[in-house]
Amino acid sequence: MRAKVGGFLRRHRRRALPLIAAMVLTMPLLVGWHWAKLGWRDWHYNYPSVSNGYTQIVNRFGQPCSAAARAVYMYWRAADTGMTYTVRFHRKLGGYPTQMVTGKGGASTNLDNDVYGHIKNDHLGQNVKHGIYGYACRYKRNGTSWSTHAFGIAIDLSSAEEYMGKTYSTTNYRFAPIFQGHGWMWGLSFNDPMHFQYATGY
Amino acid sequence: MKRTLAIVLSLLGSVSVSVSVFAAVGRTEPALREVGPPIGPLMAPDTGGGELLVVVVGGVYPTRAEAEAVNETMPFGDMSGYYVAPVAQFQGFDQDIGSPGDFALVSAFRTEQGALDFVGLARSFEYPARILPARVRSLGGVYTGLGQEASPDGTGPLTHPVPESLP
Repeated sequence: MRAKVGGFLRRHRRRALPLIAAMVLTMPLLVGWHWAKLGWRDWHYNYPSVSNGYTQIVNRFGQPCSAAARAVYMYWRAADTGMTYTVRFHRKLGGYPTQMVTGKGGASTNLDNDVYGHIKNDHLGQNVKHGIYGYACRYKRNGTSWSTHAFGIAIDLSSAEEYMGKTYSTTNYRFAPIFQGHGWMWGLSFNDPMHFQYATGY
Repeated sequence: MKRTLAIVLSLLGSVSVSVSVFAAVGRTEPALREVGPPIGPLMAPDTGGGELLVVVVGGVYPTRAEAEAVNETMPFGDMSGYYVAPVAQFQGFDQDIGSPGDFALVSAFRTEQGALDFVGLARSFEYPARILPARVRSLGGVYTGLGQEASPDGTGPLTHPVPESLP
């Protein structure tokens, strides 16, 4: 059978190659369409402005460790281990009812509908590995200033593989542009490729 | 003469039109939303001396150097994780965990919920995390992470003792 297919391809190389190329190019679109078929669409609804610096973060999102900072949750499954994590985040960054998200008292569609939906729709979920965390009432490492996680405006993905101090990315780079396209800053710029935050200058 | 007059008049006219447009579209600067004074960004270390605290333990080691070496291998991303502290700064620590060493990786909390949240964080990084079965009394000493938990009233971090932590 393999010999027959090989022979066919050799004989019809000119016609087969464009056909294969067309299939490779259109397959992701056809498969991606499936998630959208379920009803998902990118709402881009009511995103807060991206804060720059501590004072703007507090003015926009309130105090660290507040009830609003952990008001909304979503589940995120690690593709490599199959473990499902509960990710909590600020009510201004998601929880608004859409076709894919049940209403959780949130004010926008940013993280749980738009970013997550985009990653699903583009079939990039397989690149999110274990070690996933959102809200955490913690200081920054080796300091006493609040981490962006304490405001519910940061998320770590694939933390075991994309460890802090790594100067390059081996998996998160595949979906990082989706976060960046929705207002998030990627921590690769400060050697923390697991980290995404909805703020700059802090 | 007529040309100069025309230029001056047209300049005056354009300035008055600009002023009118700015006056028409101008708005009063919106008042800043009241969210209370910012907490931090730098927090004073809180050791909770004399309080009864919930302690999460990541490991116990014979020497400070060993404990610090292990702690270096357990980063929590850009967040603070465990703190190295002598077990002697918690009265009752030995009763709960035996005496396998003099230094421990710990994080202290005033509420059970704060400790549980930290255990969840540590486990997401696949690090060991165990809550001591009983509260232990802080004798002061080095900072062990107190204040990094949510206040039960939802307003922000818990920066003061709660009834359960008072002796």
